[in-house]
Amino acid sequence: MTADRKFAFRMKLLAAAALALHVPARADEREDLSTPSSTVSVGAGAVSGDSRERSLFGQYNGLRRDDAFLMLDLDFVRRDDATGMWTTLEARNLGLDSRELRGMMNRQGDWKIFGEYWELTRWYPRTVNTSLQGSGTTAPIVTLLPTRGAGSDLDLKTERKRLNVGGEKFFGRNLLFEATFTNEDKDGARLFGRGFNCASGAAPPPVCTALASGANQWALLMRPEPINSTTRQYEAKLTFIGERGAVTAGYWGSFYDNGNGALTPTVNGNLNNGLGVPMGTGTGVALTAGLRNILQLAMALPPDNQAHQLSVAGSYAITPTTRATFKYAYTKATQKDDFTSNGLADAPAGVSNYGGRVDTTLAQVGLTARPLPRFSVNANLRYENREDKSPLALYNIEGTNRFTNGTYSLKKTAGKLEGSYLLPANVRATVGVDYEALDRGQFSSPECLELATDCIGDSIAGISALRAKTDETTYRAELRRSMSETVTGSIGVSHSDRDGSSWLKPNSLPATGSTEVSDAEVFNRTGIFPAMFMNRKRDKVKAMVDWSPMERMSLQFTLEDGTDKYSAPTEKGLQKTGMKLYGVDMSYVVSDAWRLSAYYSYGEQVVNVAHSTGYQMALKDKNSTAGVGIAGKVSPKLQVGADLLYINDRNVYDQSLDSLANAANVAFLAQSGGLPDVTFRDFRLKLFGKYALDKASTIRVDLVHDRQSLNEWTWTGFAYSDNTTVSLKPDQSVTFVSVAWQYRFR
Amino acid sequence: MKSTRHILRALAAVAGMLYFAGAGGAFAADAKKDLVLNGDAKCTRCHDEGDDYPVLAIGKTRHGVMADGRTPTCTSCHGESDHHVNKPENAVERPKPDVLFKGKNRSAPQAQNGQCLACHQTDAKRSHWEGSQHQSADVACTSCHQVHTAHDKVRDKATQPEVCFTCHKEQRTQVNKPSHHPIPEGKMACSDCHNPHGSVGPKLMKRDSVNDTCYTCHMEKRGPFVHTHEPVAEDCSNCHNPHGTTAENLLKARPPFLCHQCHTPHGGQVAQLAGQGQSTSLLSGTSSGKSGINYTMARGCLNCHTQVHGTNNPSTTNPTPQFNFR
Repeated sequence: MTADRKFAFRMKLLAAAALALHVPARADEREDLSTPSSTVSVGAGAVSGDSRERSLFGQYNGLRRDDAFLMLDLDFVRRDDATGMWTTLEARNLGLDSRELRGMMNRQGDWKIFGEYWELTRWYPRTVNTSLQGSGTTAPIVTLLPTRGAGSDLDLKTERKRLNVGGEKFFGRNLLFEATFTNEDKDGARLFGRGFNCASGAAPPPVCTALASGANQWALLMRPEPINSTTRQYEAKLTFIGERGAVTAGYWGSFYDNGNGALTPTVNGNLNNGLGVPMGTGTGVALTAGLRNILQLAMALPPDNQAHQLSVAGSYAITPTTRATFKYAYTKATQKDDFTSNGLADAPAGVSNYGGRVDTTLAQVGLTARPLPRFSVNANLRYENREDKSPLALYNIEGTNRFTNGTYSLKKTAGKLEGSYLLPANVRATVGVDYEALDRGQFSSPECLELATDCIGDSIAGISALRAKTDETTYRAELRRSMSETVTGSIGVSHSDRDGSSWLKPNSLPATGSTEVSDAEVFNRTGIFPAMFMNRKRDKVKAMVDWSPMERMSLQFTLEDGTDKYSAPTEKGLQKTGMKLYGVDMSYVVSDAWRLSAYYSYGEQVVNVAHSTGYQMALKDKNSTAGVGIAGKVSPKLQVGADLLYINDRNVYDQSLDSLANAANVAFLAQSGGLPDVTFRDFRLKLFGKYALDKASTIRVDLVHDRQSLNEWTWTGFAYSDNTTVSLKPDQSVTFVSVAWQYRFR
Repeated sequence: MKSTRHILRALAAVAGMLYFAGAGGAFAADAKKDLVLNGDAKCTRCHDEGDDYPVLAIGKTRHGVMADGRTPTCTSCHGESDHHVNKPENAVERPKPDVLFKGKNRSAPQAQNGQCLACHQTDAKRSHWEGSQHQSADVACTSCHQVHTAHDKVRDKATQPEVCFTCHKEQRTQVNKPSHHPIPEGKMACSDCHNPHGSVGPKLMKRDSVNDTCYTCHMEKRGPFVHTHEPVAEDCSNCHNPHGTTAENLLKARPPFLCHQCHTPHGGQVAQLAGQGQSTSLLSGTSSGKSGINYTMARGCLNCHTQVHGTNNPSTTNPTPQFNFR
């Protein structure tokens, strides 16, 4: 740039600045700029396609069922400047199933009351084709559909309607009382079912095979779980605010009330066998009374339960540079829903309800300090003791094998110690160690001794090995540069090691309890040990860089990589999981009127599992996500914007066999060639335009075009025993358009 | 070129005259009058909405309620900034205010947060800010919050996630998968489960544990049940990824592969694919049909073990509900 041009440029800037920028706002403008305003928006919207076409798009947004909608939103804000009184009313999506309404009155710094109504309808994206009668009730009737697809279409949904009211009041400057009450009704039905295979260890002859002459009887049925429940939550808190800190004492009560006790279906006539033809065709017999009775047994629905929590929590500044945090909470949770009135029979003698009780004690204390200007330290200790005090009884008797109910207690101790030092060049170095120990008790069923009988604790049944204690230590280090003109960033690494006590081997039935054994004694080449008990080595690295190469542009780079390696006295089970994430984000201020942003990220998640029958599964989820957004002003009256989202997600099911795989597995894999990939793609374009009719009114047009593709084989080629099928339109394309008039007022 | 310079000079002179004689004159008339906050004249004599640092919109917010005695003024947050207000004669450039919240000259996170915490430290929701993950990671309040605007994006659940996704990129991808909480639809926000200002729970959970947080909406899973599934009672995230998955029901992996991480029975071949389960020698009219040691179909293990969260069926007669199937 020549000197003349530089001069001319400076002059232009000076003139523009003087003329345009430094003219102070006048009184009316000031008021407009600094006083809350309200808006109301009224319009209409329409969405393309039918219910199946928009089953993915319309899961939650209220746009699944109907084709046209009223669009009505309100944001009313009124403030009395003299008293500091706010009155607000906010309404969103009043014309949709996802409507919300919230009102509040608040004298700031003194008191507040509010009320909120909230609705959410969740449509299950898949459509069920069935002959089932009474879906959503506790007594559905199952009848074999002559051919697949010949039944009625059933779209399952759950509706939540929530009312939330509350308030707060200051008493002086040091005492604040807050209270809320939340009531939520949930209705509808969700996919559920029952299957059974005779004979079974859980139903030995003659229960299931008496009429079948030893031939297997098998059935699998879809029965929607009926939902008709209410949850209530009460919370009250009293906070004392002092010069150096605050302490809050609180009560939180939560209550679950289920209108349904049990799901008790009726099965009419015959059902299909595993080949998809009526039982007894060719071989075997028709549905036996034994299996029919099992299929008609009552299924327990979630029981009423409640919990009460008392807590005290807060923080305190010991010195200007040392602060403590703390919390103590005691929770008593109970479940005493009556069995008989819920339609559940055959409880142990003298037991009318479970009498469940779980007491949880939580204690936490933390300390942060800056003993030196450049050095800070952070320590935290947390202890949680969940004591399951539910009474023991023999809930399962299989011949000489007797099992109790399943109580589950857990003590969790977690600690953290972290030091951070500010190095030259504004680089902060942090090192820390985290520790977590879990103690699940001994799983030895001492309670069986109380019952004066040999029995097995439910938590032991069906498991090849358990572990009472596990503990994990994590070492981590991080460097962060948080203050720089153009580049900030961080890089952190961590290594965790989880180990535990000796493995417990359940004693052979009908003996009581389990025995602590060495790894060699519990070793089972094909045994699968629960992943939460296994040894684990975890390594993670995470780096993030923010770079502003110019005033108008910023870039952000992200990298994450993590690996978990599991080990136990076996060659099977969970072996390894991992994740990777790379990403870049960009934002660019094109001009005073236009802004542009974009991002791309690629992620991978892997899970390696080896199964006892000799198959090995390498699951890999590869995901690319990209987004572009632009918004700006075409003219002082016209504002436009566009957002584009693209997702490409591929789940790879890489199945292989080891040298000891059995013949059936070899044959299956040879026949299928392995499981196909599951793919999900989403291309979503959102456009909007806003035109100012005058100072207060605008017309807004929104357009959303969404193309989703989900190729997933869970239900491919599958039919239940009554020929019920479940399907999803794999490629869906939806366009939504709305036009709304918006008016702003004060 | 000279003529251009003359024109520009003239324009600048006219602009200057207009500024000082017209609009500037109006300013002079109420030179020391506060516009929005008590004592803001110190700042608003230079800064208003037309400036590079628009400030008047703070009047629309809770920080702009003068009737509330706790309401701050500009210097409560930005410091007295005497050298910024009265530029020292020897200074080449006007020094910045004592505390800056954005831009390349922004103050250190601790200095920024100190200004906010001077008032907000005692809020019950922020009692555990000190020592929290965000505090330790030097996250400044203004990394998430916008103070000088009526609409703070992070306090609106429809727009909050995009603020959180500034750092939490993996979750940005996950919430858009087919099985997700209604976050992209604006019916839920990150803060429905997390308290970004610090909590006693892991991962900044809003309640004291993962399960307690989940139970606030999924209380039917709380029990305690006659027959408990231990990993469920321990931590919902053993099986679920609450941010979103391709597998149904937010499951981390599709059954049976999820279940195989702890359990042996039933294989991983999905029998209905590629003609399996049809008239092959592997299945017969009297076999167990669609679930066996080598294969499963449809929902895998969940076809029969429907109540993996626990069942309250007390029946002691066979078949008993012990393995959570009814």
